[in-house]
Amino acid sequence: MNDVLPTTTVGSFGKPEYLQKARNAASRGKASARELEDLERQATAEWIRRQEEVGLDILVDGEMYRGDMVAYFAERLDGFRIGGLVRSYGNRYYHKPVIAAKVARPKPMTVDWFRFAQDLTDRPVKGMLTGPYTMLDWSYNEAYRTRRDAALALAEVIRQEAEDLERAGARYIQIDEPAVHARPEEIEIAIEAMGVVTQNLRARTISHICYGDFAAIYPKVLELPVDQLDLAMSNYEYRWLALFDAHPFTKELAIGVVDVHSHRLETVDEAAEGIRRGLRYVLPEKLLPHPDCGLKTRTVEESLDKCRVVVEAARKVRAEVARRAVA
Amino acid sequence: MKTTVIGAYPKISDEHQELRRALHRLDRGEIDQAGLASVYRATTAWAIREMEEIGVDVVNDGHIAWDDLLAPFAAGWRSCERGPLERFYDNNTYFRQPVITGALEGDGHALVAPFLEAKSIAKHTLKAAVCGPLTFATLTAADRGYGSLEARTLAVAELIAREVWGLKEHGATLVDVEEPALAAHPELVGLARRAYERLAEAGVDLAIYPYFFAADPILEELATFPVAQVGLDLRSRPTRALERLSVLKDKTVVLGIVDARNTAIETPRELADVIEKAIGQVSYDRLWFSPTTGLEYLPHDVAVRKLSALVSAARATKGVPA
Repeated sequence: MNDVLPTTTVGSFGKPEYLQKARNAASRGKASARELEDLERQATAEWIRRQEEVGLDILVDGEMYRGDMVAYFAERLDGFRIGGLVRSYGNRYYHKPVIAAKVARPKPMTVDWFRFAQDLTDRPVKGMLTGPYTMLDWSYNEAYRTRRDAALALAEVIRQEAEDLERAGARYIQIDEPAVHARPEEIEIAIEAMGVVTQNLRARTISHICYGDFAAIYPKVLELPVDQLDLAMSNYEYRWLALFDAHPFTKELAIGVVDVHSHRLETVDEAAEGIRRGLRYVLPEKLLPHPDCGLKTRTVEESLDKCRVVVEAARKVRAEVARRAVA
Repeated sequence: MKTTVIGAYPKISDEHQELRRALHRLDRGEIDQAGLASVYRATTAWAIREMEEIGVDVVNDGHIAWDDLLAPFAAGWRSCERGPLERFYDNNTYFRQPVITGALEGDGHALVAPFLEAKSIAKHTLKAAVCGPLTFATLTAADRGYGSLEARTLAVAELIAREVWGLKEHGATLVDVEEPALAAHPELVGLARRAYERLAEAGVDLAIYPYFFAADPILEELATFPVAQVGLDLRSRPTRALERLSVLKDKTVVLGIVDARNTAIETPRELADVIEKAIGQVSYDRLWFSPTTGLEYLPHDVAVRKLSALVSAARATKGVPA
């Protein structure tokens, strides 16, 4: 693994066509859960192999078994029911969950998938969870009197899952909070809830944040009790970096250097320039290039191409850093 | 005392997914734009009929053909493009931020055809809607046409005023102006008022909707806006606006009393309590009721139940059997 500018991804990859067809068939009752799971494992193994081939340093399982980052957990937690379809943008819809009663975790939700993926590679695979504030914000709350009550209840079940992942060998645990800036006035709730999740963890902890007004929560978001913040930057033309001039960034920074919502493939030089911008604020050992967000909206080929650009750009800048060190 | 809706209606339901399928077919090249337009028309008709059957007094077209609140304008005006994807305020719903590449131009006809289409369908009173100028200006990702937020807001207001003129010329008598930015940025209320003076020149009744956030800091100022109606979101955030409605003087007050962003259905008692408080301050003829925002943040079945609760509460207040 590269100690300087280690590369990674945010979590999801494009699903292969055979898996998309199987998921559609399963939703119509025309494929069994066992048949679907076999294909999900096949696709996960393919993505582990592809990530190794591309040269990424810290891997993910690719979330072949998940549709949506909140609904996946909501379907496995007591207290939730899955609501009807709601549009997120364009022609994309999702089943927005409803917190209908007090939440509880009947059993681990991601640990088997983590073990399966980690057993396929010597490189570290991240344990991937959705944070309590985002679980709350992207669900309807009918059960808890206040949003803080709901966030803290969710934090408790996510803490249980995170600690199980650590016991299973996860050295990196990512607890995504893309909604953390949805209501800047509630950032204290998000920080308090994340503290519940990470309080006992020794694994390296990460939180991914994307698509929103990051400026509205900076520098307060530095109090989020995780080691690394994982930020969409390319989509914003790196404007959030200017915030670090007034208030230095104090964590590891996973920096998004390719846009996941564009079919256009960035050049290696464009991505390399993004990494160089990040290096003005963060040491090379603490800067992790990656795509802006999960790649699930891209095809397998597009996902791979974007990852290749990230890896090649990191390689290029790594060489520059090494030359400077020698000089 | 009337009931109305705001903004976008759910485009699909579990049973009614023609539009979703049509957009997929368009992507695959199986239908053309004309084919898609006919599905937009049919879906708009479905939405209007549903609102009318539930009993909503003043309906809109459900914004069925709008990709997001800014899209018809960003796509329809010259020197404007639909740019990067961004979260729409505190929703898990996204929009394309406008990118302004020069001096904006528009002919005021971005909404005319869909309005006429909806008018031919609606049996109840139909209102139109536009994006608020401050919302459009503050959500712009990049601006190479104007040097400041002030200049951009006023330029956008000019173009939106043209859209309001265009709608008026084709029969619109009431135009909603969806303006979440005003509640989000109360410090910009002075700039917003200047923008609305331009919109008002069209001489059609305007209804301003500063939703998602509490309007408490701007309530008195809203009373001075050149609009006929002021809509207040009473559910998204804590607010004392309900206790201060009298400051809105001669405006028609449209109270957002069912939460369009949560699935819990308000009870008749809850709604009656709110309505009773309002009646003490605003006369019957100046009091309307609505959801807090567009209903597209809810699954279709819940949206229907919310509207039904709204209509039932209003009818109960008027003594009309449900």
